[in-house]
Amino acid sequence: MAVKEKHSTHRIISTMAYEENKPKAFERVNTVESSYRVYEDGKVGICYNIGEISDEEGFARAQADPERARPYPFTPEAGGERSRDKRECEVSDRELMDLAGEYMGYILEKYPQFTFSGSFSEERCKFSLNNDLGTDYSENDATFGARIMFKHKDSRDIMDGGFGFNMRKPDDGSVFRTMADLYLGQYETIAEIPDEIILCMQYYSLVGGLAEELNAENLALGTSRLTGKVGEKVFSEEFTLEHDLTDKEAWFSRFWDGEGCVLPDDKLVLIENGVIKTGFADKRVAQKYGVPHTKTAGHNYGDTPFPGGLNLRIRRSDKTIKELLGGRFAVIPMNWTGSPMDSKGELTIVISSSLLWDGERILGRLPEFRVSMNFYDVFGKEYIGVGSDDSPLYHDKVILIKTNKV
Amino acid sequence: MSGKYHFPENLYSDIRIEEKYFVHLMKLNGELVNDKAIADSGALIRVYDGNMWYTTSTNELDKIQEELDGLAELASRNESIGEDPAVRLLEVNREVRLQFEGENNLKNIARARFVDVMDHYVAECTEPTVPEVNSWTVSVGGEYMKKSFYSSKGSEIVYDYQMISGGVWYTFGGNGQPMNGGKQFFGATPEDLSGHEQEVLAERDRYIDFLANAVDVEPGEYTCVLSPITTAMFAHESFGHKSEADFMLNDPVLREEWTMGKKVGSDPVSICDSGDLPNHGYIPYDDEGTKARETWLITDGVLTGRLHDSFSAAALSEELTGNCRAQDYRNRPMVRMTNTFLKAGKDSFEDIIADTKDGIYVYMVANGTGSATFVMNATVCYRIRDGKICEPLRVHMLTGSVFQTLFDIDRVGSDFELFDSYTCGKRNQSVRVSAGGPSIRVRKLTVS
Repeated sequence: MAVKEKHSTHRIISTMAYEENKPKAFERVNTVESSYRVYEDGKVGICYNIGEISDEEGFARAQADPERARPYPFTPEAGGERSRDKRECEVSDRELMDLAGEYMGYILEKYPQFTFSGSFSEERCKFSLNNDLGTDYSENDATFGARIMFKHKDSRDIMDGGFGFNMRKPDDGSVFRTMADLYLGQYETIAEIPDEIILCMQYYSLVGGLAEELNAENLALGTSRLTGKVGEKVFSEEFTLEHDLTDKEAWFSRFWDGEGCVLPDDKLVLIENGVIKTGFADKRVAQKYGVPHTKTAGHNYGDTPFPGGLNLRIRRSDKTIKELLGGRFAVIPMNWTGSPMDSKGELTIVISSSLLWDGERILGRLPEFRVSMNFYDVFGKEYIGVGSDDSPLYHDKVILIKTNKV
Repeated sequence: MSGKYHFPENLYSDIRIEEKYFVHLMKLNGELVNDKAIADSGALIRVYDGNMWYTTSTNELDKIQEELDGLAELASRNESIGEDPAVRLLEVNREVRLQFEGENNLKNIARARFVDVMDHYVAECTEPTVPEVNSWTVSVGGEYMKKSFYSSKGSEIVYDYQMISGGVWYTFGGNGQPMNGGKQFFGATPEDLSGHEQEVLAERDRYIDFLANAVDVEPGEYTCVLSPITTAMFAHESFGHKSEADFMLNDPVLREEWTMGKKVGSDPVSICDSGDLPNHGYIPYDDEGTKARETWLITDGVLTGRLHDSFSAAALSEELTGNCRAQDYRNRPMVRMTNTFLKAGKDSFEDIIADTKDGIYVYMVANGTGSATFVMNATVCYRIRDGKICEPLRVHMLTGSVFQTLFDIDRVGSDFELFDSYTCGKRNQSVRVSAGGPSIRVRKLTVS
């Protein structure tokens, strides 16, 4: 008997945009995306629609193209009811314009030697999953965020740096003002490049690279650097990596995966104390390669699932950032470009513009320099940790890693 | 088309409607893992009152008038909006240019035609298996878009665009040291994708040889011969973004740096952008309704142009260039490149190599960036000694000063190619572009 299932996302984004210090546009985006799925006889018909459509038409279209029905020899989930609402407030369009004006007013008055572009946004999103087997899931989230790019008036470059944040509820402006003061206050002071380069940054792009290596299909095919190393200690004792849907900065995540599966406690440990515990797999990969099904399918509305949709988080240290630094300096990269890893896992980063930080104060801006890293060492012998506290430079958790000056 | 919408008085407004269709099929090691056809349609509605834009994006095409009226309520009526410098510049064009109707419209192409092409490449390029290849994908697909544009000044434009593409990609090497390589190809129909089998296999064998024999480069400064695809990356990333005028409007330092008529490169260097070429950056009209044209950014080493939307053109008292683009109907447009290329010269590739006593041949790069210090991430390089290409070299990156490197180009080849495999990112928007150029020689780049 056919089972009908609907995945949907409704997103509303309001943005106040500034260019070269001036208000440029107020924008609103309102989109609805739906994926209608009809499971029958080991196959699934899919209709992915962007825009309004009736459920009747969506399911009819999912069944209308039998040639495109995809093999899917799995039973959809009978998950029951659950909802999660992470919203803390809604910001009206007028409030957003006022907040943007207030924040821009602060940096324009205090830092006239810079030119600023950027945006202030309020984003609301509702995700849902329903099927004939009783699954009725929904998740609501909303964030307020700012993204500012700056250019010093004497610079020959298009832009010299940027900062930004997301939060679920606008504060009194102190996060923005503190961040602006840290990035801009000592920008004109040129500091000396320290002998030991410790990078301090948000780690999402770094662990994003690790995700491909932990994809169970890549592990099975031998196309991962970690093939054959599940169960082995490969990284630092201090390094634990989780797919964590409970993290407060997991903006717009869903507690279910692309196949409607829900993890116990909404978490999956992938690497623990440097030991690779498991790759991540959806149902297809788990069955095909005989590996654990880790309930980590991406939300692929247009097609059958694939492994993905991770919210990778590094477990925090018990120590603060300052304690982890232990009197050393950290480099905050602002404008940088990294090479892709070569076949040996080596990569080089050109840091065109960065700030020197002692864990509390910015000491100045550093001239351009280069560092090199190795894939294993970043989370291995060069890994220092993720502090127990958030950095005011990012209003978020940060990683500290040692690198080699080139 | 006339009279389709009622535009509010004493404001400038425009409506951009996009109807899109995507197809993508992919086999991974013989298993069909992607098979999708997606329809997407929506509109961006904009109102400008002389101070600010008010925009909204919607999927509900029957509510465009309602959205337009709502935006007009937010804006302040301005009786002299017609005298606004940017509004005055905006062109009024009326044309219907639909080139992809009929049986070869993507919506009408039977899935079986794509499957045939995909299975052909699977048979020709993945069988028999090669031990150095750990994994492969063969993909085919396409995108079709019909765009309509209406403005309160009277523009009524409808045009379409279609690109069919395919690709074969391999992951080589085991022992925890994988590397990816392959080929992508383009056409107007699925059948156009045929005929690239030998190129794909040659590329596969090049990567196998590279992995077996490459040695680490000794970091330093080298004379570099850039392949056409590397030149394309340089022209787009390292120079092209600096020709986008929206970053310099109120910036005297950058306006001085990029003064028209200034010598910015060596004599053989000429760089052009044109949206009217039938390539991946094809936009016969931009998202303000401006007709595409050829803009020479550098001519014989002299700065002769830059890319504009109506605001930047008005601010700098220059002409429109047709470069105002948005990623899609969810985004407002900004100044973007289209098809950007470094013009071909007269030297043959063989002569350039033969004339290089000591250097590096950069065959392939993964990506690049364009700050004052540009960076290109190389994947496959070779040592040049005594005018001959020698052993393969593992290189991480090539860097240089854009301002200096344009002067350091001393040989420009005749082997021009325009590559359609690019998308370009700027301020979180990605647009399709092409980039091109011939082989060039640069006297000095920093290699590591």
